[in-house]
Amino acid sequence: MTTATMGTAGTGLALPVALPVRANRTVRYMRETAVLVGRSLRAVPRVPERLSDVTIQPVMFTFLFLYVFGSAIHIPGMRYQDYLLPGLIGQSLAFGVIGAGVATATDFATGVTDRFRSLPVTRLSVITAQVLGQMIEQVLGMAIVIGIGLALGWRPDLTGAKSLELVGLIALGLCAFTWFGVLMGMLVRSSDAMQGLGFAVMLPLSFLAGTFVPISGMKEVPRVIGEWDPLSTLVAAVRQVCQGTSSTGSWPLEHPVVAMVGWCILVTAVCVPLALRRYRRVSAA
Amino acid sequence: MPSSVPAVAAERLTKRFGSFTAVDSFDFLVPRGHIVALLGPNGAGKTTVVRMLATLTEPTSGSARVCGHDVVREADAVRQAISLTGQFAALEPNLTARENLVLMARLRGYTKAGALRTADTLVDRYDIGEFRDKLVKSISGGQRRRVDLAASLVVQPELVVLDEPTTGLDPRSRQVVWSTVHELVGQGVTVLLTTQYLEEADELADQIVFIDHGRGVARGTPAQLRAQIGDHRVDVVATDPAGFESLVHTLAPVFPVTLVPEKRTLSVPAPRETLDLAAVTQVVTASGVPVAEIALRRPTLDDAFLALTGTQTNVQDNALEVLA
Ligand SMILES: Nc1ncnc2c1ncn2[C@@H]1O[C@H](COP(=O)(O)OP(=O)(O)OP(=O)(O)O)[C@@H](O)[C@H]1O
Ligand SMILES: [Mg+2]
Repeated sequence: MTTATMGTAGTGLALPVALPVRANRTVRYMRETAVLVGRSLRAVPRVPERLSDVTIQPVMFTFLFLYVFGSAIHIPGMRYQDYLLPGLIGQSLAFGVIGAGVATATDFATGVTDRFRSLPVTRLSVITAQVLGQMIEQVLGMAIVIGIGLALGWRPDLTGAKSLELVGLIALGLCAFTWFGVLMGMLVRSSDAMQGLGFAVMLPLSFLAGTFVPISGMKEVPRVIGEWDPLSTLVAAVRQVCQGTSSTGSWPLEHPVVAMVGWCILVTAVCVPLALRRYRRVSAA
Repeated sequence: MPSSVPAVAAERLTKRFGSFTAVDSFDFLVPRGHIVALLGPNGAGKTTVVRMLATLTEPTSGSARVCGHDVVREADAVRQAISLTGQFAALEPNLTARENLVLMARLRGYTKAGALRTADTLVDRYDIGEFRDKLVKSISGGQRRRVDLAASLVVQPELVVLDEPTTGLDPRSRQVVWSTVHELVGQGVTVLLTTQYLEEADELADQIVFIDHGRGVARGTPAQLRAQIGDHRVDVVATDPAGFESLVHTLAPVFPVTLVPEKRTLSVPAPRETLDLAAVTQVVTASGVPVAEIALRRPTLDDAFLALTGTQTNVQDNALEVLA
């Protein structure tokens, strides 16, 4: 493939000819991933719904609970800001499923995934980029939540080591939930369905998870669900690291950090291979 | 790549979705440097064939080699050799037209600067300038198609696959596509396109393959296909549906008529040309049924299409259908 000359009828403009020389697989993989992450991030500010999912929505929750419902909620021994903010961080982590799922489903529905799959691009890079792009988007959302929280008087009790622990937990949670979302997006394939399903499942689970009010005060049925809700583990773990509070009710709540790490590793270990397999096989109809 | 290796060679290519067979033992050969049209009605299996050739979906059975590479075992090499423009524009809606082109060029391996240059060349070539910096989600369907076509031509591949490239395009955009196809072939690129437009297949392709219900029902050059469906014929066009029915009663017992009810047309084979025209005219005149037109015609690809894809059946079935 070295021919470089060609006349073009009519316009006199030449189509580019030879395929550029390709680097080795690893370099290609990293390069393609970077290009694709760039594409995802460029799109974020241009989709109002996506932008609001990571900005307006958490801000709204913060204000709503801090100033509207918060006045009626009393947590013994702590200010409501300090109770609420770790909960919101946990909730944002979990909501990453929806964002990742919707983005993935949209790519399938618009045929963009197919186009990428028809190119000589390592397929792993397409899915890696999807996950990385989503994680970056979620980090942006989380930074906003944390920023607002601090501005409104949240005072986390973080030493150096605890900060690292928090960052580690958040990274692990983001990774697990984003992969889960990507897998769900590939299974559902319609972005509207993904959005609807995501909220229908995640919203109640996040309300039962002790995000806004303690699980121990709930009626029996929601309490039991809350005690075993995986999202409760996230919330309790972040709260324990940030404020040093402990929780009771079930084994995962008594050992939230260990339980959260366990959950995240489990979810990642299940979702990554399934998502990769699915990606290799599926094709938008 | 030696030119003796065909651009596409598929043998008994089959795709099932559950128990439904979308493509059924399809044999397909696309010689290098040619334009081959895959022609068929909705649901014929065109897109499914294209997707198998473009490595987007694996055949259930049978095999296909694209530019000498097996579509399953050497999928990477196939992707390197081809470029696909799918039936529906597949662009990132939240990037501008130009950003989409740059993205495709980057993914094909260009440097940033090279990708920008390539994108600008394509913008000029495909008349994209006007909406170059608009988000793809806010440009029209036809404009999107043009960007889509350009996006698949950031490099010059060995085989260009176009799935219904002109569906929904205005005459000007269609002309852009047609001239692109001619140009590509002029540069030695092989083009495989699917279409439902006979006119398009006739105009562009030097080989046509009819596909229906997943099966190849006929293949050949446009001229061969015309020959295959016979000679001249006499078309009698009725003025209204009632007249059409009367004509069926009048002509069907006398001539081997073929019916196209939606055009109120009866066709009679006319191997003896004007003699047959006279004979048909005589019978029609004698019956006193008013007609809009009686004409001697050369077979068109339309006839081939209708005859070969089974949309049109022979006189007995059709007469029943019409009378019912
Ligand atoms: N993923 C799928 N699952 C089930 N059936 C499918 C799938 N894809 C295609 N089919 C079926 O296979 C048949 C062939 O579809 P295909 O899209 O190849 O047709 P086509 O010739 O491209 O039609 P059109 O001109 O409408 O684009 C159709 O009956 C379609 O319903
Ligand atoms: Mg199709």
